[in-house]
Amino acid sequence: MLMIEFKRHTLPNGLRVIAHHDASTPMVTTDLLYDVGSRDEDPEATGFAHLFEHLMFGGTDGVPAFDTPVMMAGGENNAFTNNDITNYFITLPANNLETALWLEADRMEGLDLSESRLRIQKSVVTEEYRQRYLNQPYGDLMLLLRPLAFRRHPYMWPAIGKDISHIEKADSRRVKEFYHRHYNPSNAILCVAGNVHPDQVFSMAEKWFGDIAPGRRIIRNLPQEPPQTERREITARRKVPAAHLVMAFHTEKRESRAFYVLDLLTDILSGCDSGRFPEILVRKKELFSEADIYLSGEIDPGLVIFSGRLRNGADISKAEEAVRDELDKISTRQVTAAELDKARNRYEASRLMSYVSAGNKAFNLAFQELLGDANGINTEIERYMSVTAAEITECSATTFRPGNCSVIHYLPESHEE
Amino acid sequence: MKSRRKMEPPRIITPSAGKTSFPDVVRLGNGVPVYLLGGGTVDLIRIEFVLNAGQIMEETHMAASVANAMLTEGTVSHDAITLNDLIDSTGAVFNHTAEKDTASLVVITLSRKLEEVMELAGEVLFHPSFPENELRMLKEKKIQAFLTGRQKTSVIGREQFYMALCGKDNPYGRITRLEDFDALTSAVTRDFHSRFYRPENMYITVSGREPESALPVLSKCFSGSCQWHKAEIPQLAFETSPPGRIFAEVNGSVQSAVRMGWKGITRDHHDYHGLQVANMILGGYFGSRLMRNIREEKGYTYGIHSVTGAFHGIGFIVIMTEVANEYREETLKEIRKEIAELRINPVSTDELQTVRNHFMGEIARMFDGPFSSAEAVRGLIDYDTDHDYYSRLISTIETITPEKITELFNTYYNPDEAVEVIAGAK
Repeated sequence: MLMIEFKRHTLPNGLRVIAHHDASTPMVTTDLLYDVGSRDEDPEATGFAHLFEHLMFGGTDGVPAFDTPVMMAGGENNAFTNNDITNYFITLPANNLETALWLEADRMEGLDLSESRLRIQKSVVTEEYRQRYLNQPYGDLMLLLRPLAFRRHPYMWPAIGKDISHIEKADSRRVKEFYHRHYNPSNAILCVAGNVHPDQVFSMAEKWFGDIAPGRRIIRNLPQEPPQTERREITARRKVPAAHLVMAFHTEKRESRAFYVLDLLTDILSGCDSGRFPEILVRKKELFSEADIYLSGEIDPGLVIFSGRLRNGADISKAEEAVRDELDKISTRQVTAAELDKARNRYEASRLMSYVSAGNKAFNLAFQELLGDANGINTEIERYMSVTAAEITECSATTFRPGNCSVIHYLPESHEE
Repeated sequence: MKSRRKMEPPRIITPSAGKTSFPDVVRLGNGVPVYLLGGGTVDLIRIEFVLNAGQIMEETHMAASVANAMLTEGTVSHDAITLNDLIDSTGAVFNHTAEKDTASLVVITLSRKLEEVMELAGEVLFHPSFPENELRMLKEKKIQAFLTGRQKTSVIGREQFYMALCGKDNPYGRITRLEDFDALTSAVTRDFHSRFYRPENMYITVSGREPESALPVLSKCFSGSCQWHKAEIPQLAFETSPPGRIFAEVNGSVQSAVRMGWKGITRDHHDYHGLQVANMILGGYFGSRLMRNIREEKGYTYGIHSVTGAFHGIGFIVIMTEVANEYREETLKEIRKEIAELRINPVSTDELQTVRNHFMGEIARMFDGPFSSAEAVRGLIDYDTDHDYYSRLISTIETITPEKITELFNTYYNPDEAVEVIAGAK
């Protein structure tokens, strides 16, 4: 088994630094993970963490355009925001690593939060919202699902925000507060992976981040989602050619046994063409043209989501019944040894694939550190490989209760139900 | 406390593109070329089979993509369900796609499973059975995807542009209609497969830690006899539309796809490399003129890009973006303004240096690791491009002058020749 070796060092100001040496690449990736996501937003100002991600590229007094030095150094950079975290990464030739660290340190401390910058990025994010969620057939499915499945926990809104109006209303006072609260060494993890020695990484990190004021580590006290006891259902009608069915079930947090059990189970059900759903729901019963089940993967208790596009002419209630049958089967009868073995082989291969690029390793190490220990990148294998058929049955029975289900019937406008 | 702003920024080392050399090639007993790309840190091996079996070879529209999609829907030895179960049990991933110019099967497998996986790959490539029932289901799925595409402004915008560039009967320009699916019978699919999925029409790339170790297995599985000659790329007729506006209504859309473009040059043209640099300045990276103006100054869009590329027999330049319906005229105006500016004023040395360095970094990333290198090399082989393509590109990047770039904009970027496509609400 491939082990990812790394070293860890915490600066006096609280910045956690992880270094992984990969001599097979001429490049290096810096991954800077901030422990802030859309779950940390005010319910009346959602989409803020993501909007802020855009502002982080606006430059500082000393560096008016963030991208220019990155490009000069032969690098590329990007970022993403989800419900839990905001993650920034730069990949560049290893001998220019210091430029990346300089830039990240610079924007951790001295971001330019001008009104004009804010106004433009509000407009860019509005267009992003339209392009990705409103101007795509089926694009608003997840916008519908979250508030249906979550009634208290802030996972009830997506990272892009509950509504465009929240982005339009964002003001610079709040932007500044958000920056000072979350963007500091205490709430960040830096991982550097690539062709550089860990000792060099630590001394450069000390040089560039060492004197930034620590800030306060955020202790969360988020409203917990009460257990769901009754089925919830909504019907949406849109201009789409075929109906779509979503069924979502609450599950446990990322660092639970259930996460690993369900991750393997969902692979058995729909991870590949020979999975149960493609075989039974798509090929044999011809109810769906595609049928997928996956974990939403949040740190707090999240969802396991079935998502299937119906065949033309298939009845959505019958389709839902067929999914229900499969979930009942998996909750009462053990998966076969061959199915479990296949899932393990597939896990092994996909784990290796995810370690082909140093950038992926950098993010994985930083994320595992956020979960509690970067070494999770190595110990996770055992957590997957030790999953038993009996555990899968038991976990399915707990998860796939009819009362724990939120359902969306997403129908073509002309469709008669 | 000392501030970063008072510290001297790190000195930037001018990036180099690194090693971009063309890989070693060996031949199987029957002559099939195998390109070997070694390196990496994990025990995975990636094998790609590339065939001259793309859309340009087809007589019946979509025959190439259906023949390719049917590869894993059953073989003479195994029905679809058994076949997929055998493949998935090894942990391997089989990705097969048919594109405009070629078709391919990419297999990524644990090194220790190579032999059983290659036996399955051989079966999939050369002995599919094209069962009627699976074909019917696949067609239904494709029709559904086609109908979903009718709601996507980006899809409609792209189709309209390539039709205007290449002509409605040209394989690069042809737009799928619902009735096209009727012609896709199993006889058509079989015929396409038997003509083009042949060893003499294929090459293989192997990438991973010890690529040469795969050769005995490949010889065993892919040394079938070659009787026919390699399929020739057909001479294509192009019918480019006159400049002007094409409007395609997509009812109820909140954004419009905007495409502005015209004919460019092909890979063998002496200005092709220089044009890549010029294009990057206009709209090929995050700090480009278009991105800075239309996204970062005006906020009209989430992204805007300019591409210069080429198929067999025709090159193109196209600028593409998705903008709110109310910004589309203004966006087109600004694109014209940015091009006009680049036709008059030479770029500053700072800007050119930024683009040079960024481009070098991009090439270095393309060749970072054996799997990425295999993808980069495929582009060269598919278009019979000179093996020193990248070294010549690198030297162009290093030596091109601001004056030459102005000249390239004057020669190749003339918005008066443009086809403008808007796909969106009225």
